[in-house]
Amino acid sequence: MNAVAAFSLWAQRNRWIWAAIGVLLLWLVLSIVTNRFSLSSLSGIVLSASFLTIVGIGQMFVVTTGRGNIDLSVASVITLSAFVALLSIKGQDANLAIGVAAAILLGLAVGALNSLLVVGLGIPAIIATLATGYVLATATLLSNRAISGFTVSPALKYLASGRISGVPIMAVIAILGVAATSFVLRYTVFGQLLSAVGQNRTAARLAAIKTGPVIASAFIISSVLASLNGLLLGAYIGGAFLEMGQPYLLQSIAAVVLGGTLIFGGSATAVGTLFASILLILIVTTMQIVGLPPGAQDIVQGIVVIFVLALAGRQAMTRRAPVEPTSGGSDVAVPAGDRPA
Amino acid sequence: MSQLAVAEQDSAASTAPAAPIRQSVVSLTGITKSFGPTLANAGIDLSVATGGVIGLVGGNGAGKSTLMRILCGAMWPTLGSISFAGEDIGFADYGTGEAQRRGIRMVHQELSLCANLSVAENFFLETPGDAASRPGWRALYRARAREALDAVFPNNGIDADAEVGHLSIAERQMVEIARAAATPGVKLIVLDEPTSSLDLDRSKQLRAFIRQRAKAGLAFIFISHKLQEIIDIATEIVVLRNGRTAWQGHVADASIGRLVQLMGGDANPVHQHTVSAASAQDVLVRLSGPLTAELGRDIDIVRGEIVGLAGLEGSGQKELLHAIFSPDRKQNAAVTRHAQAGFIAGDRQKEGVFPLWSVLANISIGALARRPALSLVSDRANRDTAAGAASRLRLDDRRFGSNITELSGGNQQKALVARALVAGTPIILLDDPTRGVDIATKQDFYRLCDEIARSGRALVWHTTEDAELLACDRVLVFAGGRIVRELSGEAITESAVVGASFTLPADGHAGAGHKDAATAGLGRKLVNAAPFIGLAAVLAVMISANPAVASIFGLDLLLMPALSLVLVTAAQMFIVGGSEIDLGVGAFASLVSVLSATLLYDQPWLGALALVAALAAYAGLGGVIQARKIPAIVVTLGASFIWVGLGYALQPTPGGASPEWLSALFNWSLGMVPTSVILIAAVALIVFVIDRLPLGVVLRGFGNNPVAMIRSGWSPTRYALVRYLIAGLFAAAAGLSLTAINTASDINSGNSFTLLSVAAVVMGGCSLLGGVISPVGAIAGAVTLSLIGALLGTLSVSSDFNAATQGLILIALLTLRSLTADRRSEQ
Repeated sequence: MNAVAAFSLWAQRNRWIWAAIGVLLLWLVLSIVTNRFSLSSLSGIVLSASFLTIVGIGQMFVVTTGRGNIDLSVASVITLSAFVALLSIKGQDANLAIGVAAAILLGLAVGALNSLLVVGLGIPAIIATLATGYVLATATLLSNRAISGFTVSPALKYLASGRISGVPIMAVIAILGVAATSFVLRYTVFGQLLSAVGQNRTAARLAAIKTGPVIASAFIISSVLASLNGLLLGAYIGGAFLEMGQPYLLQSIAAVVLGGTLIFGGSATAVGTLFASILLILIVTTMQIVGLPPGAQDIVQGIVVIFVLALAGRQAMTRRAPVEPTSGGSDVAVPAGDRPA
Repeated sequence: MSQLAVAEQDSAASTAPAAPIRQSVVSLTGITKSFGPTLANAGIDLSVATGGVIGLVGGNGAGKSTLMRILCGAMWPTLGSISFAGEDIGFADYGTGEAQRRGIRMVHQELSLCANLSVAENFFLETPGDAASRPGWRALYRARAREALDAVFPNNGIDADAEVGHLSIAERQMVEIARAAATPGVKLIVLDEPTSSLDLDRSKQLRAFIRQRAKAGLAFIFISHKLQEIIDIATEIVVLRNGRTAWQGHVADASIGRLVQLMGGDANPVHQHTVSAASAQDVLVRLSGPLTAELGRDIDIVRGEIVGLAGLEGSGQKELLHAIFSPDRKQNAAVTRHAQAGFIAGDRQKEGVFPLWSVLANISIGALARRPALSLVSDRANRDTAAGAASRLRLDDRRFGSNITELSGGNQQKALVARALVAGTPIILLDDPTRGVDIATKQDFYRLCDEIARSGRALVWHTTEDAELLACDRVLVFAGGRIVRELSGEAITESAVVGASFTLPADGHAGAGHKDAATAGLGRKLVNAAPFIGLAAVLAVMISANPAVASIFGLDLLLMPALSLVLVTAAQMFIVGGSEIDLGVGAFASLVSVLSATLLYDQPWLGALALVAALAAYAGLGGVIQARKIPAIVVTLGASFIWVGLGYALQPTPGGASPEWLSALFNWSLGMVPTSVILIAAVALIVFVIDRLPLGVVLRGFGNNPVAMIRSGWSPTRYALVRYLIAGLFAAAAGLSLTAINTASDINSGNSFTLLSVAAVVMGGCSLLGGVISPVGAIAGAVTLSLIGALLGTLSVSSDFNAATQGLILIALLTLRSLTADRRSEQ
């Protein structure tokens, strides 16, 4: 009994564990039910999950800034970046540096635009990023017309789909990224400031935190990661097509929420995002194996997001119930802890 | 528990045996309410008799608000019981709705009116019963509002049709009081600081009204810090202190002096140190300009002193604190700061604590915020710094690991002070820091302030408790946004402060503001006219390029495809009216389109059933969002995948056929006017009618001020369901129109509608914060946006630019809006 209590306390602080358990369980079930699952098929799943993780980490930074902030432009950034990479690299390793620079520049530019709209003009993040996404969609259409052929630089192709003794290079990149992100969140001042801003923006401002730059950097990180992801994804699939970034919109949010990052902001876990990405890809793969119709994957993903949110919503509420009477004077009339639902 | 026992003894000893001869309206017995370790109420008894006027007094944190919330059903006590006219009621069945049914009404200190509704509509929200949705229901409430306002405040001059947001604070207060008083069947009215924003005449009118109604048997509880008013109006007085009844008795046995003493006179801070002579380089803050115009000289705040900010609430004290904290804002040229400033907020939940963090993290952030963003954090270093500050505060460092919300209000406040200490700023700004803090901690706090000041820092202290000003070296008294008096040393007395608070500054400083407001108003009008100007411009360009457009057939050809977007916009408008955004509305319309072109065509009954099920799911989504308090954006985004997935599963490739009756519905002609124009106008009319119905008023009320709506007894979940059901019906109509117009269906056909509908709603003048429905503007916006494609075609621009144009229009509009909007609310 004590061990259970201790675990639940520990799990409250390490919410990533649920996604990890999910991966393990689903993996076990699949291995037992079908005999088509092996370590090599796992490495394929991890490879796909790595792309999702990179976008998810960026999305996580934005979600952590709180107030329902979400970056809806990631999908368009991924697609456009894949096109830009094809146009600038032209299949030559020699142009690789230019391509990477172009991708980073694209990410910086979109991130800066989003920050300007959200921080500078006070436009709600979803509307601002949705609108940015539409502008990028036109840019994608134009680059689609400009493109002459789909040849990918071999070096990039190797990076995106190669393996070193069975381990996908992309997985190594993603894991390194997750480790670096965890370090930044936990051990740097920036990580603390980000969490403070996400928990209570007014309090953060009054604690002398410059909230604008913190929020802006989250949007920039998100766009840059999405852009780099587009570059690699383009290399992986060996080209680019319109709407190729589309699945990453909901999946990145799902990975963030499923991983244990609070949708209300203030608390992020990169490891959780990694495991949740694997779990999501595992779910999609399972459905493909089972042979569900194409729409079913979308349905299941949508249901997973809503379900997880509905579960997590209550947790966050009880966590934030006001504890003291008199200063809560202007709070909602019915504090969560005071009456049953 | 021992505290509790003491409390019971206390109240037993001090309760005067005042015999209520009249019938009791409601009585509370043994009310105890604990919040974690703090007892907000401890064994309080309160009985209200018909025609009685109870004056309830007590300092901040004495437990008045908690007791009143329990009385009004907004909170349940830990222990205790409530009875009405001798009949015991279990608290389990008691809530705001039940309290209202039993005739209890409360006028809250922070007002509970919906600012986006008219005075008459706000009267409706409080007593909805009489408004069967018959036409002219407004007239009933208009008359009732006028009558009620005139009964309490003769010659008030408030227009019952005026939007509450346009009234002054005093007028809103008057509306709220009149609204409570006019409720049929009301037996007890609780007035929480009703006169804080009323001038003397209105306050007299109110008291005259209370006397007159009390004679007729209505009971009142009158909460006020203005003790002379309490003595004037009350028949019985209850003094609370630290959550207990300190005294209860007849007004004849009370005097202002006695009440002050009972409320906690002994907690008065004592001024303990004197400032050593200040030299010029010790000046940390200089106040000048219009702020100090009344005094005719600048004010310097120097190292080592405590400067109090006093005056009536909202006279500019908070504004000064914030101006000192961030002096770079343009209107604050009057404030110059020569050193860094730290801020200690009294509203801990909203402005102070980081609820997910431990005590330690909450303290250390003060120092971290001033370090480079990429430097490293060390727990040990944090702990060492924090421990130093905590020991000065007598804050136990064994509690560093606890979550901050587990601490009592007083200890949370200590942690916030520790945060300011580790930041090490020479200036510390305090915004009513002892709010809701128990007396022992207050004493600690005063001692600490002296210590901090002695160590060479300057404290600027805004307080709502005048007695605390005695701890200051100097007091600046505010009135009307200006400093009107400076008191120092012996001259600081409560009566001097109160006296100065009522000084009126010589000139109103509204002059400059008016001009700005006029420019901003013009800008706003232009932005509001944008959809109409845009529509006219687009049509003009197209007609000049191709005169055939102006024919009935041409217009119909052009506008018929706009109908679907108009319907989706109507759906989105209701969601945005509730301050949410639906990112799945376009997908839902497509799904309905697919359903109608496949199932409904092949098997009408099954199709109809599927449509109803889809609608139910959509409305249920609204219920889930409200009940679980989760962000609508993500939920609706998730739902959009479900809608699209269902559509794909039903119909993997575009196709299907439109049922004949459906096509006929959209395919008729009057000859003179284009069918599409009639249909679009009909949609606008339907939205307009729904919005004017009582239902529409309630929905807008929720969009503006859900807390007030809940207080008035409206169910948020039920109306979330209704809101999404209405939106779902419009979105479904959009889906049907897609099928009829295209005579086939495609699950991707509605994709672009989601963003466009948000853009149209914003263009039409609806605020994304909610509460505004503007059918004509939004629909004009929708038509304009749907013509963009055709317009680009006319101008022979590639259709690739369609999305970008639409996105840029949205960005441009939001930018314009944010530039012309009143930005003060954003803080």
